[in-house]
Amino acid sequence: MELLQVEDLSFRYPKSERDALYGIDLSVQSGEFIVLCGPSGCGKTTLLRLLKKELAPYGERSGQILYNGAPQDALTDAGEIGFVRQDPESQIITDKVWHELAFGLENMGVPTEVIRRRVGEMASFFGIEGWFRQRTDELSGGQKQLLNLASVMVMQPKLLILDEPTGQLDPIAAADFITTLQKLNRELGLTILLAEHRLEEVFPIADRALVLENGRVLLDDAPRMIGTRLSEFGRDHPMLRALPSAVRVWRGIGSGDPCPLTVREGRDFLERNFNSRAEELPVPEAPHDAETAVELKNVWFRYEKDSPDVLRGVSVKVYRGEIFCILGGNGAGKTTALNVIAGLDRPYRGGVLINGRHIKDYKGGALYRKNLAFLPQNPETVFVRDSVRADLAEILEAAETPKEECAPRIEKIAERLGIADLLDRHPCDLSGGEQQKSALAKVLLSEPRILLLDEPTKGIDAFAKRDLREILRKLKSDGITVIMVTHDVEFAAETADRCAFVFDGELLSVDPPQKFFAENSFYTTAANRMARGLWKNAVTCEQVIECCRAEAGKK
Amino acid sequence: MKAFANVHPAACMTYFLSVLSVSMFIPHPVLQAEALLGGIMFCATLQKRREALRDLGFYLPLFLMIAVTNPLFSHNGVTPLFFLNGNPVTMEAFLYGVSVAVMVIGVLLWCKAYSEIMTSDKFLYLFGKIIPKLSLVLSMALRFIPVYLRQARRVSRAQRAMGLYSGKSFTDRIRNKLRVFSAMISWSLENAMETSASMRARGYGKKGRTNFSLFRFRSSDISLLAACVFLLAVTLAGASLGITDFTYYPRVGIIRTTPDALAVYASFGVLSLLPFIMEVKEAVVWNCCKSKI
Repeated sequence: MELLQVEDLSFRYPKSERDALYGIDLSVQSGEFIVLCGPSGCGKTTLLRLLKKELAPYGERSGQILYNGAPQDALTDAGEIGFVRQDPESQIITDKVWHELAFGLENMGVPTEVIRRRVGEMASFFGIEGWFRQRTDELSGGQKQLLNLASVMVMQPKLLILDEPTGQLDPIAAADFITTLQKLNRELGLTILLAEHRLEEVFPIADRALVLENGRVLLDDAPRMIGTRLSEFGRDHPMLRALPSAVRVWRGIGSGDPCPLTVREGRDFLERNFNSRAEELPVPEAPHDAETAVELKNVWFRYEKDSPDVLRGVSVKVYRGEIFCILGGNGAGKTTALNVIAGLDRPYRGGVLINGRHIKDYKGGALYRKNLAFLPQNPETVFVRDSVRADLAEILEAAETPKEECAPRIEKIAERLGIADLLDRHPCDLSGGEQQKSALAKVLLSEPRILLLDEPTKGIDAFAKRDLREILRKLKSDGITVIMVTHDVEFAAETADRCAFVFDGELLSVDPPQKFFAENSFYTTAANRMARGLWKNAVTCEQVIECCRAEAGKK
Repeated sequence: MKAFANVHPAACMTYFLSVLSVSMFIPHPVLQAEALLGGIMFCATLQKRREALRDLGFYLPLFLMIAVTNPLFSHNGVTPLFFLNGNPVTMEAFLYGVSVAVMVIGVLLWCKAYSEIMTSDKFLYLFGKIIPKLSLVLSMALRFIPVYLRQARRVSRAQRAMGLYSGKSFTDRIRNKLRVFSAMISWSLENAMETSASMRARGYGKKGRTNFSLFRFRSSDISLLAACVFLLAVTLAGASLGITDFTYYPRVGIIRTTPDALAVYASFGVLSLLPFIMEVKEAVVWNCCKSKI
């Protein structure tokens, strides 16, 4: 049965020069699981919001949207279409978990006894019983997003729309969330329309994938076909980079086999076609000169006198001009370690040396002048002014830069990071990736020698990640040391010179990525999990493809 | 904590108001002593031993201070105990001081118990019945405050790590506060837009909104309410008949021991000890159950 039909839908925002959506045609069958992908700004969010009457943006629009065969406006029940957005925090309305679950039903005027039963049913389906009476602000990000989903599901929607729901979650919480969606689809037959840029887990379980580009539907096909069909648009279509590792490797090799989607299928595919065993790639020596930029000496840290230790004797040296990645699970102490290096938290034992000088000896902000810069996890916290330009100017004024130098320096950094056209926008109006780059521009204006990044890839898509990688490499070639904390193993494997694994407040291993990931068997990239039986230390898709090509050449 | 915390908010509120009004407005030594005793016993069931000891260190000096201060400044009464700087310190003034101290400490303890038992959600529930919009607004505010504070702290740390106005001078600190505040205003507006979108998406704004709560009015709540109303009625009847009138000046009155007076004392005694009795009953029942297993 056709649940939703979009016919020739075009949309233009007020005061905008071009359409955000052009002639979109889309038909959603009841019970389908559809994934919507495409680069940031391609119109995914606009399309999804138009489908939900209550959230539809203002603007000129043509074409029509039919729900259950009738025009969308005929739908009066707000519970029919559920909508979950990216930021877990701002969707929560009330202070208690149980109240949040009941909120939608209260609005519909459902009597107390019925609410009690439905809320109880949903809480047990989603495994919320354990924190049912808790305050909403005490939940973790993953729990918050699950609560948002549950409080929409309690209204018993027929169609569930999700706009990048896992963007702000760590990989484990994100995988749990996707599994829950799969369960809803399989067990309740719920129709799901999901916009997502982390496709690794979603692609194998979706029935259809819709690729959007510049406001048009580029492709609408089964996920398995997307890899092949993208070739119609050129060998190097940018969307390819966002696809799951198995698809990327398969495409890179250019095989006639059916396209693999999961790690298992990818491994089968590789082992069918190649038979080199346990051959190791040469590991490049981590490039660093002997000079130490940051050194931690037996650092112990706890937040309060009676609280448990978060860092337990961390010692590490980071050399000048390297990209150093700190990986690890939630609450392992990654972010705390970074805060200690940034001078925001003081260890109670041990020492931190920045450029060979003890951190305590930097007085009155000297640490942050032409020395060390810190980009926090939420880039919006960097901005305090009305425009990006004003924010950038502020940091130059604070460093007492002569007036005539300010403007050219801002232009230069904007050029370098590709944010020249964002300078006059309000920081709040930028997308996640744009905010990230602008915040980076701001902290870079203090001309740091050491750059600290906390989860720089959170909530940004594959294209923005590539931009970020290029920027970091450029900084590195200028001799800047980069230390970053991340959950993103793929990004770490492609970017880092050395990776460190933090667990239970201790630094367990420090190695170049090829060695680091080859030694792990779970905590490694999808490409490595596919190929480790053949080439143990091929960790990125590019390396796997290279190995395959070399192998094919030998034959 | 366990027995009384599960009482329905309406019964709970009625109970607290009854005890507090009697102990504040009927200055009779027996009733005040009963209120104090009830307060102590109630708080004892709510607290751990260590906390209780720490509280004792606060209440005991306060008690002594109030009890001693009155006779030093008030020289009414006819029975001088001794003379201080030529002024008589009278027994009546001393006893009055003690009675005020008992009253104050009793009321403080009951307020403490109130704040432990009547949590924000119970309070909201009661007022939500009267003004439904208000309870939603308060609930949203209670969510927003901690989220706001966390974000403000993040902004402030991010600014500190850029070395902007992080100096220790007064102007720097004021400027820093202002900057964080201005950033927080745009953040709050942004957040409010998102929240209102989320409310609309879940059908807020239609007519006939209901108010859901987790509280159930059980038969035990009816019994408690009935007991509470009956005991309060007896006490108030006694007060209106003048049984509980008591004077300290010029001469300390006598405490009546007529049957009707005893009935009033007993009623209020039971009323103020109700939470403790419930707690003991619960513990006994629990132990019986355990021994049967």
